[in-house]
Amino acid sequence: MKEHIFIIIGLIALTDVCDTVGQLILKSSINKINWHINTLKKAIFLIIELLKMPRIWFGFILSGVSLIFWLIALTKADLNLAFSLDSMRYIMIAIASMLFLKEKISNERWFGIIFVVFGIVLAALG
Amino acid sequence: MAAKRKVTFKIFVFLISTDLLETFAQFCFKKSTTCQSFSGIVTIAQAYLFIKTVIFSPFLWLALFSVLLIFTIWSTILSKIDLSVAVPVASFSYILVPLTSSIFLHEKISSIRWFGIIFILIGVILVSMSTDHKKEIA
Repeated sequence: MKEHIFIIIGLIALTDVCDTVGQLILKSSINKINWHINTLKKAIFLIIELLKMPRIWFGFILSGVSLIFWLIALTKADLNLAFSLDSMRYIMIAIASMLFLKEKISNERWFGIIFVVFGIVLAALG
Repeated sequence: MAAKRKVTFKIFVFLISTDLLETFAQFCFKKSTTCQSFSGIVTIAQAYLFIKTVIFSPFLWLALFSVLLIFTIWSTILSKIDLSVAVPVASFSYILVPLTSSIFLHEKISSIRWFGIIFILIGVILVSMSTDHKKEIA
């Protein structure tokens, strides 16, 4: 088990990188449209506008790739370990939003991220 | 944007059902990979065989259906209440998934790992609670 832990962490990191890039694509595409949705009709229009963007489809492909990495990780790891390690997505998404979407991260949120990191280390060691 | 309404009983039931569905989905994902033992996936051929086997597992489709259902329920929840309120309740799955793993999949969970899980849970709640409300109202 111990010698596998780095492979498991690597596979789950790949899953979460794919998901993070997917979320960034989705968020930046929605930001670009910048509509205030208050009716169902507007929501449907938003979805149609999004589907016209090629990068949204790249995001869908990434979701599929992410799922494959996740399933391979599950062949090697116990579910409880994999699910705990999967929370590294919160860290990746926070840092990626800061770097690419210029979002601000409050001190409280950094504090939360430190808790998640510490929890992941404990879960991996356990 | 107007202040979002408080958590009603219906929303609470929705939140709990996302927890349960998430747990069910992860259980099914795990089950779909244990139908056949995969010693190692190194070559493209092994990866192809793996994907082929998993795709024909009913557990995978049950899991994917659950994920779709979660997405729908989650969208409904977020249209009614703030993310910072929704996430802490939905994070209950961080406890439910390991519990399910230990009961139904007979996985062993050390006390160190339980500590880790609790830290992750606190961290996720802190990350979601620190939503910048001023920005949301603007």
